[in-house]
Amino acid sequence: MRETIAKDVLQAFLATLAAVFIYSVAGGSAPALLVVFNAFSVVVLYFSVRRGEVFGAVLGTVCGLTQDAFSLGVFGVAGLTKTLLGFWAGYISRRIDVAPFTRNALFMLVMSVLEMALWVLITAVVRPASVNLHGGLSLLQPLVTAVLGSSLFAVERWIGARSSRGA
Amino acid sequence: MPLWEKRRSALILAGLLAFHILLISLQVPRGAEKSVFERAVFFLFSPVPRVATGAVRGIVSVWNGYFDLRRVRGENQRLKREAFFLNQDVRFLEDRLHFYRSEAQLKESLAGFRGTIVPARVIGVDSANPHQSLIIDKGSLDGVGKDMAVCDMFGSLVGRTIDPVSLKETMVQLITDKDSSVSVVSVVDRLTGSMNGRSGPVCELRYVLASVAGGQPGEELLTTGYDKIYPPGIRVGRIQSLEKDEASPIFRRILVTPYFRFNTIDVVAVLTKAPGGER
Repeated sequence: MRETIAKDVLQAFLATLAAVFIYSVAGGSAPALLVVFNAFSVVVLYFSVRRGEVFGAVLGTVCGLTQDAFSLGVFGVAGLTKTLLGFWAGYISRRIDVAPFTRNALFMLVMSVLEMALWVLITAVVRPASVNLHGGLSLLQPLVTAVLGSSLFAVERWIGARSSRGA
Repeated sequence: MPLWEKRRSALILAGLLAFHILLISLQVPRGAEKSVFERAVFFLFSPVPRVATGAVRGIVSVWNGYFDLRRVRGENQRLKREAFFLNQDVRFLEDRLHFYRSEAQLKESLAGFRGTIVPARVIGVDSANPHQSLIIDKGSLDGVGKDMAVCDMFGSLVGRTIDPVSLKETMVQLITDKDSSVSVVSVVDRLTGSMNGRSGPVCELRYVLASVAGGQPGEELLTTGYDKIYPPGIRVGRIQSLEKDEASPIFRRILVTPYFRFNTIDVVAVLTKAPGGER
């Protein structure tokens, strides 16, 4: 049991490193891209669907707090929303089939919209002046997250199918 | 079966949520001040943007350096570097000339100016809003500390260093951040006020009385140095528009376009000391 938890925490840490890496590359190439693209959400969604709700919640915590540490917002808000995102995504994906591409994309879109709504709500309560939707551009973030997340699964399935055909 | 086994997921979620609520409750009264835990997270992950941007720049550099004209590129880089430092020098020389009239004062000021600029690369931007903060690749080991002015390669003000400052990385609060405030003065009509960010591309010049005449679109704004953070005379931006503030009859509503642009801040200069050596 203890080994499993330690393994999960280590894997969550490595996944967070991957998220920070993607975020840095995206921010370095075009800072404005970060308004519509949240690498942390994509990573949390992807691994939550693969590994279940407990791993999703732990990963959401690590990713969210890291996102908060790289921002001037209230520390803990992204942590809270991403913990819930990871848990919900892992929990629901264990109970309904989200393998088909369109269903997967729709599922991720709903999850991302919920995460963003929660983030706006909590930020509005904690520090109202911090809510900035960049003229509505931020509302595209869930859509981009859903497309990228479901594309990751599609690519993974495609690679799996090719390698099994090859074998 | 014990309760832990039956309700494992729910208990873990409840624990994590309680932890976050505690973190938020502790952070809210602190405002912008960073907690030890937040600094620790920043310290842990801040080398990653350096590696990521370094890797991308390395790949781009190999590609360009190998397939392009290598010699011309090298020379171009050298000239850009020289132009960067010359721009800074010219900027400060001009500023000093405004503030010091006698030659003796000028010499004394220039003597203290040497070695006060630390060039740094931008390795990350704010994860929630790009108009709030940056991360640069210089830290306490390079002599960078909290509350130092940061300029772009043309000598225009970008922001100031804030916590967390790690060994090789530092966070920079941009002048466009909503919590940023810079004391500025316009060069022609001497309108003095506080330039505040709005977490967007445009800033606002506050506390200019409606009864004060003058000021026109296009007029340049310089730092005054009254805030004891930014040295006086640094170029900040231009007035974009002036109008009556409907919300407050006492002050004017003045919008300002900052000079710095995201596409020109891959390299910045941290002023570790104000010109003249004072800090």
